[in-house]
Amino acid sequence: MKPILYICPLGQEPASFLDKPYARTIEQHRIYDLPKLDLSRFGAILVSAHTDQRAFAASGDRIAAFLDAGGLLVFNGHIAYPFLPELAPFVPVPGYGLALLQVCRVTAHPVFDGVDPQDLTFRRGVAGFYGRGHNPPPPGAEVLHRLSGNDAPLDWVWARPAGGTVFMHGGNDMWMYADDPTSAARIAPQLMAWVTSQIEEHTEKEPA
Amino acid sequence: MSAPRIVAVDAGTYFHRTTFSDPRFAPYFDALVYAPELAADLDWMEADCLFVASRQDPAFLQAVREPIADFLAAGKTVVAMGESQSETWLPGVVWHPSEVNFWWWLTPGADSGLRIGATEHGLFKHLTLADATWHHHGYLDVPHGAISLVNRAAGGSILYEDRMTTSGRIIATTLDPCYHHGSNFMPATTRFLTGFLHWLRESLTGNP
Repeated sequence: MKPILYICPLGQEPASFLDKPYARTIEQHRIYDLPKLDLSRFGAILVSAHTDQRAFAASGDRIAAFLDAGGLLVFNGHIAYPFLPELAPFVPVPGYGLALLQVCRVTAHPVFDGVDPQDLTFRRGVAGFYGRGHNPPPPGAEVLHRLSGNDAPLDWVWARPAGGTVFMHGGNDMWMYADDPTSAARIAPQLMAWVTSQIEEHTEKEPA
Repeated sequence: MSAPRIVAVDAGTYFHRTTFSDPRFAPYFDALVYAPELAADLDWMEADCLFVASRQDPAFLQAVREPIADFLAAGKTVVAMGESQSETWLPGVVWHPSEVNFWWWLTPGADSGLRIGATEHGLFKHLTLADATWHHHGYLDVPHGAISLVNRAAGGSILYEDRMTTSGRIIATTLDPCYHHGSNFMPATTRFLTGFLHWLRESLTGNP
């Protein structure tokens, strides 16, 4: 199976999920190595919220080509530098109140199987860690989670018409919950399992 | 005499873009320099103050360790916010890791463990200890003759001003306000930047 490219974030301790057995197909590279990498080697790309998005967007044409060829992109964070023409900058919810920050499930998805939305709304009783706004979805994207404020489409999956899939989470890294004592800990292994299944499915479709 | 100029280091992250483009803060930054271009284009050395926002890739600052030393030798100011390994590129900085407690404030009556180090300092005309209190990523030794502005009760400083180690001025902290403000998270970080930038500008005009 093609490996998964994980772009190392800035100024952070390494994410704990990288040491788990389920993350063994991950290959880590700095964002500044992106122009030198042959992206066709990878089945999926994982992008942290702590990424130099200016550098990522500078490789937008290569990301588009990766998707054209059927690749899967998992993106965390607030879009500040749109890297595809269909994407637009992050829209925050207007304020800090809990009334705006409840996470509501709209569509079931294997990545969130068994994850209680309350465990996304609250972390140790504090709201807002998971998301505080949204990256506007392109037409045809399937919304997975919304925030109570403005029905903000926080999480969505987009089967890109020109090829490939974008899994978007408009907040902090989904894998940061990997060691939490709540159902949110299911996200990281389930994300890796889903990404793996998508890569395998795509590989089967490719002509031999 | 022309007004002092502040150049900010932009790592290309969403939170830096949000912070630098915030209409409350943008007027304080006369120019931005993209972190990967720090070494190639030394125009920032013409400024009076280099403001290194939280959470940089330290490699880009290590690459300009000598120009930064020259900048300080010319009597100028460097501000180093947290989570960028400033001990690897800034003279006199000694950093110690400590467990980051994101949750201390959930306990009623809990002590943040932080104390004002210099009540009479001009910074505290513009902010309070509460505005500098969220969590911190490690602590710093206070160089001989430097002024600690925020102390840890357990020892060390989380924010100091050092006019002794070099001919210039180093303001170093383990706080990471640009990250949290730029994530629309933690209102204290917004108050911190509001007061800090006001004071910084005043102090550069010789009117602290």
